[in-house]
Amino acid sequence: MAIIERPAPTVPAIVTPTTTYGLLKRPVSATGWRSWVFTVDHKKLGIMYGATAMLFFIVGGVEALLIRLQLAAPNGKVLNADLYNQMFTMHATTMVFLFVMPMAAGFANYFVPLQIGARDVAFPRLNAFGFWAFLFGGIFLNLAWFLGGAADGGWFMYAPNSGPVFSPSNGVDFWALGLQITGIASLTGAINLIITVLNMRAPGMSLMKMPIFTWMITVVQFLLLFAIPVITVALFLLSFQRNFGAQFFDVAAGADPLLWQHLFWIFGHPEVYVLILPSFGIVSEVLPVFSRKPLFGYPFVVFSGAAIGFVGWGVWAHHMFASGLGPVSVAVFSLTTMAIAVPTGVKIINWTLTMWSGKLWFTTAMKFSIGLIVLFTVGGLSGVTHAVAPSDTQQTDTYYIVAHFHYVLFGGAVLGIFSGFYYWWPKVFGKMLNEKLGSWNFWLMVIGLNLTFGPMHILGLQGQPRRMYQWTEARAGEGFFNLAFWNLIASIGSFVLAVGILTFLINVLITSRNPQKAPLDPWDARSLEWMTTNPPKEHNFDVVPTVHHLDDFFHQKYEEDAATHTMKQVRTAEEIMAEQERNADKHIHMPSPSYWPIVLAFGLPVITFGVIYSHLISVVGGVIVLFAAYGWALESSTAPDSDFETNTPGTGLDKVASNHD
Amino acid sequence: MTDTAHGHASSTGISNVKLGMWAFLGSECLLFGGLISTYMLYRGRVTGGPRPSQIFDIPFTSVSSFVLLMSSLTMVLAVSAAHKDDDRKTNLWLTVTALLGATFVGGQVYEFTAFYKEGLGFSTSLFGSSFYTLTGFHGVHVTVGIIMLMSLVGILKRSSVPGKKAEVVEMIGLYWHFVDIVWIIIFTLVYLIPV
Amino acid sequence: MSRRQFDIRLSATIASVRVVLRKASKFAGAAGISAVVAGCATNAPQDTWQPKGPNSKLIDDLQQPVFAVAGIIGLIVAVAVVYTMIKYRDRGQPIPEQTHGKPALEITLTIIPALILAVVSVFTFGAIFKLAKTDDTEMIINVTGQQWWWEYDYPVQNEFGITQPIISSGQLVMPVGTKVLLRETSRDVIHSYWIPALNGKRDAVPGRIHTLRLEADEPGIYAGQCTEFCGLSHANMRMEAVALSKEDFAKWVANQQAPYVAPAKDTLAKQGEEVFLNQCVRCHQVNGLTRADGTPAIAAPDENVWSGAAPNLSHLMSRNTFAGAMFNLLSKQCRDEVWNAPSDVVGAKYLAGVTEECLNQKDLRAWLRNAPEVKPMYANPADLAVSNGKYRGMPYLALSEDDINKLVAYLITLK
Repeated sequence: MAIIERPAPTVPAIVTPTTTYGLLKRPVSATGWRSWVFTVDHKKLGIMYGATAMLFFIVGGVEALLIRLQLAAPNGKVLNADLYNQMFTMHATTMVFLFVMPMAAGFANYFVPLQIGARDVAFPRLNAFGFWAFLFGGIFLNLAWFLGGAADGGWFMYAPNSGPVFSPSNGVDFWALGLQITGIASLTGAINLIITVLNMRAPGMSLMKMPIFTWMITVVQFLLLFAIPVITVALFLLSFQRNFGAQFFDVAAGADPLLWQHLFWIFGHPEVYVLILPSFGIVSEVLPVFSRKPLFGYPFVVFSGAAIGFVGWGVWAHHMFASGLGPVSVAVFSLTTMAIAVPTGVKIINWTLTMWSGKLWFTTAMKFSIGLIVLFTVGGLSGVTHAVAPSDTQQTDTYYIVAHFHYVLFGGAVLGIFSGFYYWWPKVFGKMLNEKLGSWNFWLMVIGLNLTFGPMHILGLQGQPRRMYQWTEARAGEGFFNLAFWNLIASIGSFVLAVGILTFLINVLITSRNPQKAPLDPWDARSLEWMTTNPPKEHNFDVVPTVHHLDDFFHQKYEEDAATHTMKQVRTAEEIMAEQERNADKHIHMPSPSYWPIVLAFGLPVITFGVIYSHLISVVGGVIVLFAAYGWALESSTAPDSDFETNTPGTGLDKVASNHD
Repeated sequence: MTDTAHGHASSTGISNVKLGMWAFLGSECLLFGGLISTYMLYRGRVTGGPRPSQIFDIPFTSVSSFVLLMSSLTMVLAVSAAHKDDDRKTNLWLTVTALLGATFVGGQVYEFTAFYKEGLGFSTSLFGSSFYTLTGFHGVHVTVGIIMLMSLVGILKRSSVPGKKAEVVEMIGLYWHFVDIVWIIIFTLVYLIPV
Repeated sequence: MSRRQFDIRLSATIASVRVVLRKASKFAGAAGISAVVAGCATNAPQDTWQPKGPNSKLIDDLQQPVFAVAGIIGLIVAVAVVYTMIKYRDRGQPIPEQTHGKPALEITLTIIPALILAVVSVFTFGAIFKLAKTDDTEMIINVTGQQWWWEYDYPVQNEFGITQPIISSGQLVMPVGTKVLLRETSRDVIHSYWIPALNGKRDAVPGRIHTLRLEADEPGIYAGQCTEFCGLSHANMRMEAVALSKEDFAKWVANQQAPYVAPAKDTLAKQGEEVFLNQCVRCHQVNGLTRADGTPAIAAPDENVWSGAAPNLSHLMSRNTFAGAMFNLLSKQCRDEVWNAPSDVVGAKYLAGVTEECLNQKDLRAWLRNAPEVKPMYANPADLAVSNGKYRGMPYLALSEDDINKLVAYLITLK
């Protein structure tokens, strides 16, 4: 067991290589690549989630740029029809499953334990497994590009167009099986975070004292817990049809193609909230900090988040208003869709009122959050226009919808994520991102996204359908609202947007070379994750905090002046930190790293690879999974002490047998 | 499987593993929900293949269902033995549970073979595809349960269970009961309610 | 209060609310949205804000106030945010009181949007059920989607002079001022039928029949496009609805039912008929066409095409488009003349069909020369293992230029 000694350095254990590789022994590396590959530390995994998601963001972004290049002019020749269809399918799949979801998982992994005053998540090894499954699933999905072409049926993969005859390449197989793997990752992640939040809160932190980010993440994990199995079923049906001759979507055999649509959207609509709620959480952290005021109506924001989580299950068929449902179904789903706009509106109102009568500090993080309020509202309102089902029959499958969900997902989810980057960067890496470049980053992105997605409202209302590899001058029209002009503007905008994101990457590069360390509490923040060092120690907190208030850290620093009701600083973050170090826990149990999560995760793509090419390979994959599962179950709960060469040998090693992992 | 809270007790008073299993089973409900819905939609669509009523052998399946139901009872006995730290009885009841489970799976394999011989293949009709998928998924769940039970017996003999023994037995018990309950639903909807 | 009285009152209330919403929409126009509305007056042929029939007008009347209200709310939020940003920027004020919210305000601000949406939903419900009505249908047209073109099948309807089924493709021809009900289905994947000027879209799903109401107020040609992603050439699956006056429609019906006129002997067209019989008739039907021995030439597209059909070419030149309305049969100039004709003469111009001078030779020849090259399709025999060698789309036929000349001469006779 890696035992962190006080006042020993935070990274005390050095591996003795000869003893690390016993089959059932646990690795102990605290440095080098092995400290990452075998880690079960939620912070390292959070960083790995984030970095991997960022890579996929770039992949998906390049796909988007190719799409916009193709559509900049009529009869585009950059991509052929086949490649274009693969491109938009994989653009959406990548952005949804390999960027926003894992990025949110990264934030959640890193900050949920810190925000609730825990030292790790409930199942550290499962956490590591989730990351590796996501990574291998993502790679597996993209392997199709090199093995005969990627999936070409759109991310919604409607049957029967996804069937073996209509999509003869292996692309859809890779897609369905790859998403199964990332689905497993999401499911294990969801279980892990739910249990972490339910079971591992610091003393005194009742649910209604939990930071709002943790709340939103919790709602998201419940959504995932119940939504993932539905898409799992749909994907199994699809794979069974394509790979084993089942007939689920074979119309000639009497199948109903709408079955897929229902299964997909029962997953797909909660999924939309899975994408947006983490960013709502981030914004709800950032706005109070830089307004110097608590979140306005905290319980309303919590309950509206939960309400979105519930009602989100009852709106799926609004994706199917043109699919031929009966008028009664259409009316009902139209009503529920309007109903879900209400709790969403509540959030917008609360964020604005949080700023009201505050003391606003316009950092880059704050700018991104305010950007989210305004731009998400645009997306939300266009959403209301197609909650009106008859009007949706004019809008669905046009660029108006593309505009809508990019305002919601880029103007909402992505701006929230960037807000989180700027806000938490000093916490994670101990260095401040450059605020001046941050400002460039913000404005380029906001201008770029409005230039890209704003014109799409016009394109859609002018009747340009989605998913067309070319558009024709014959249908472009003339005058101010002609399709040619606005398509070009959108394409130019996409490159402005790309430059904006490049600015962020440059900022990261510059920051990483900047030797200057970030202050302990750079934003005068409010929640527990700031009540530790930057970056946090491996065990997060020297003393597990006892919580008395919502925004407990702020209330430790400030007290109210009884006369003026304004806040006066009574302690600094440094003082609080010093006090913690004085009272540090002597024996802190941290889980040892493990080989098995990555081995187990590696078995999954081997199995799925075999499903496509040769069932023999699947057997090999199955053996790997089984082997890893046994290794996992049988490995000793800790690495033996002899594996560690601590810097302070012989003092206070905790020899008590532990049930902890 | 026994990563637990470090340094402080759980906020709910339920252990992480058990709560985790509950969450997982919640998710499994939706999995079987989706599969059952698919079957219910497609069970009458036979396109020339045999109809459900032509091939189902209700008495046979009733017996194997009863066997599975009994395994829940033995599982309860195993859990209670584990709580009393009675290793011998725990092992015994776990083994009996696994055997009953294996009997059920054996029955299912026999049944699948018989149906196949009567002309119902996986690709024969929508009924065939969805029947084999639903019951197959359940069978795989039972099989995974058997593997877990047998592994547990093996590990208990070496007495090196990581984590509290009773806790692990109880967790696997939860899973086992869930799989049983799902079968009762499947048996009712698939076999007993006529198309 | 009797039920009827209640209904009357309810509709009166709805009417008055509607007036308020109209006013609100005008107000929004003043607020800057007018530029958008005015701008749309001249724009793309698939503009969704230019309804040309009662169904689309119903949708438009519903959506314009919603757009207006949404615009106003968006503006309010933006102004509120900017105002707050300016007013409460950090000017050295002390850290404010840590207030946690005002529930009364909160509840009020929750109820207001809920009420707005409740009002919107009342109108929405009305429109949904009106648009789903099928009992007032005056004419039925069966529409079948197939990768990547639309087939129209007019069942026998004596009141419109349709005494034998008419099968056409690409352009839907319908009488003006008539409640037409499309009965949609598909032969392969899901497609979606959409003529924005006449109604919203409705998916054509294989194995199901969905209905869509269509009615045009004025004669004219209305553009549309398949809007459910349907594979490789989804972008090229277009259609047009041609609304004709009732007299013109009767003429069109008569022409569609006119018997086949074989080309005169010893003409290029007659040689073209020969080529057609050798090559095209495997898939494409021309009603009345007979082989040299006098037996009728029956197309068997189901033996060659996966989805089972190919466009019926009996009166090809009565249409303005071919290949799923991807290409025009009319040269650009002639096409513009028809499209831009005022509504009282558009019918006559349309019924003139494609004359020799007006034929778009370039695209038609390119199509005959190598169809998969100009429209992406699954027509490479090497890729057809999964479909048992059957095509999805029209294959490359390796026709000589000579044969193409003959074929074009023949096709132009199919009036």
